[in-house]
Amino acid sequence: MSKPLLEVRELSRRFGGLLAVDRVSFAVQPGEIFGLIGPNGAGKTTLFNLISGTTAPSGGAVLWQGTPITGQAPDRLNRLGLARTFQNLRLFEGLSVLENLLVALQRHPRSSALDGLLGTARHRRAERQRLDTAWQLLQELGLAALAERRAGTLAYGDRRRLEMARALATRPQLLLLDEPAAGLNPAEKDQLGELISALRQRHQLSVLIIEHHVPLLMRLCDRLAVLDFGVRIALGSPEQVRRDPKVIEAYLGSGSNAGGRAP
Amino acid sequence: MIDNGLLVQMLIGALLGLSVYLPLAAGQLSLATPAFYAVGGTLAALLSTRWSALGATAAGTLPLGSLVLELLLGGLLAGLLALLVGRLVLRLQGIYLAIATIALVEILRVAILNLPFTGGAVGIFGIPQPFATAAGYVLPALALLALAGWWCQRLEGMPLGRAMAAIRDDELAARCMGIDTTNVKLSAFVLSAVLAGSTGALAAHFLNTWNARQGSFDVSITTLAFVVLGGSRSWLGPVVGGLLLTALPELLRPVGDVRLVLFGLVILLGPVLAPQGLITPALLARLGRWGEEKER
Repeated sequence: MSKPLLEVRELSRRFGGLLAVDRVSFAVQPGEIFGLIGPNGAGKTTLFNLISGTTAPSGGAVLWQGTPITGQAPDRLNRLGLARTFQNLRLFEGLSVLENLLVALQRHPRSSALDGLLGTARHRRAERQRLDTAWQLLQELGLAALAERRAGTLAYGDRRRLEMARALATRPQLLLLDEPAAGLNPAEKDQLGELISALRQRHQLSVLIIEHHVPLLMRLCDRLAVLDFGVRIALGSPEQVRRDPKVIEAYLGSGSNAGGRAP
Repeated sequence: MIDNGLLVQMLIGALLGLSVYLPLAAGQLSLATPAFYAVGGTLAALLSTRWSALGATAAGTLPLGSLVLELLLGGLLAGLLALLVGRLVLRLQGIYLAIATIALVEILRVAILNLPFTGGAVGIFGIPQPFATAAGYVLPALALLALAGWWCQRLEGMPLGRAMAAIRDDELAARCMGIDTTNVKLSAFVLSAVLAGSTGALAAHFLNTWNARQGSFDVSITTLAFVVLGGSRSWLGPVVGGLLLTALPELLRPVGDVRLVLFGLVILLGPVLAPQGLITPALLARLGRWGEEKER
């Protein structure tokens, strides 16, 4: 197998007495869609925050193409090629849809503040390129008609897609999606799977995805890891994971506590 | 009713309003503007009274070129100070940043009051005048304001300005989009300082005397009121706020110290009556449409 794009090695995070993530290891291969599932409170989002640099790990390592990147700042990680969305949506709500993308495109291409101040040809060219890319992304994600709207006024499904567009605008190699289907209606959930597959193709992405909607992940992912109480209890293809007795127990509970937690 | 002297004061008010606005546009509530204003003013007062190469005469005149040089040096020194201090204080957020910047204002005020060469409580007086009358200062103040306004306008269509707006909306999300938020906040802070420093250099000549009271906590609150009243969503807001609030107490001079109460009332009532200030994006959009219709 080729060198993994992202490798998580024995990663842990402790919040006081709670071990939210307990020595979790897995690797995401280039081009792969890797799913992360688990019951509520299993530590999925914490693990995401550790990988994307918004929370510092208590132990373990994160490797990017074999190089350690543990504990680096989120902006540096983004510039390496790792972009994320947020479970609770963190758009720039006061800015327009188009401006949300332009913010994310500010390094593609780069232009200096002096160029901008003087309005040089280089600055105008860079701005045109940014606008072109932004419009392409808006069209790709079906947001073009909303370009001038303030992000804070969008419908929920549109906001989710804008977050994905904004993350894509930073030209990542790895896209981290934190519950992209949360709050979507069934039709939108179906479209989401197709959208993610299409985006992987067109942008040569690897995707690491947290999701509660298990059928979506079973269809979409090449491999899955299952977390329960911060521990990785299973890893493998959707078929392997589905049959794993530990997974069934975590989701359905063992005999005495049947039906405790639904997937 | 508004003479040239008051007009210059109003323009200086607008410039200081812009200086408070710049960090605020990146979501940073800095009250350090008077500190940088004092740095520029003190530097200009010292240079023009002590450094004969600037060409100050016994009659108290100063070549125009020397004024321009002082504006540059005042801005530069204030900018350098902001670069040093900013690295430290911009780690703080919200009200803690505001308190740290108030401390900076106080430190500089006490330093200027006690340094052996800044004239103590009396300050520096007899500062040479590049212009014979107050009317002469209108043009340079207007030019400085036009330059600052133009720069703020350009900022909105530039990566730096957009990054500032993004940080104001959601700093963590901005970081996750690859924006070096520390650098962007520092840039806004330094720009604010340069503007305040140059304004101070101009004000020192206009006022003819300069002392530690020019850069005090009162000025922090006054300049903040400019932005609160005018609005912080467009650079035009603090300009309008600065012009209005500087003119008002002068026009109400007969009522005396009540003007301080007035500022307090504006800070209190402003957010209640006009939460976004006088100049809001909605108002600008309406004006834009109106302008288009008139052109037709």
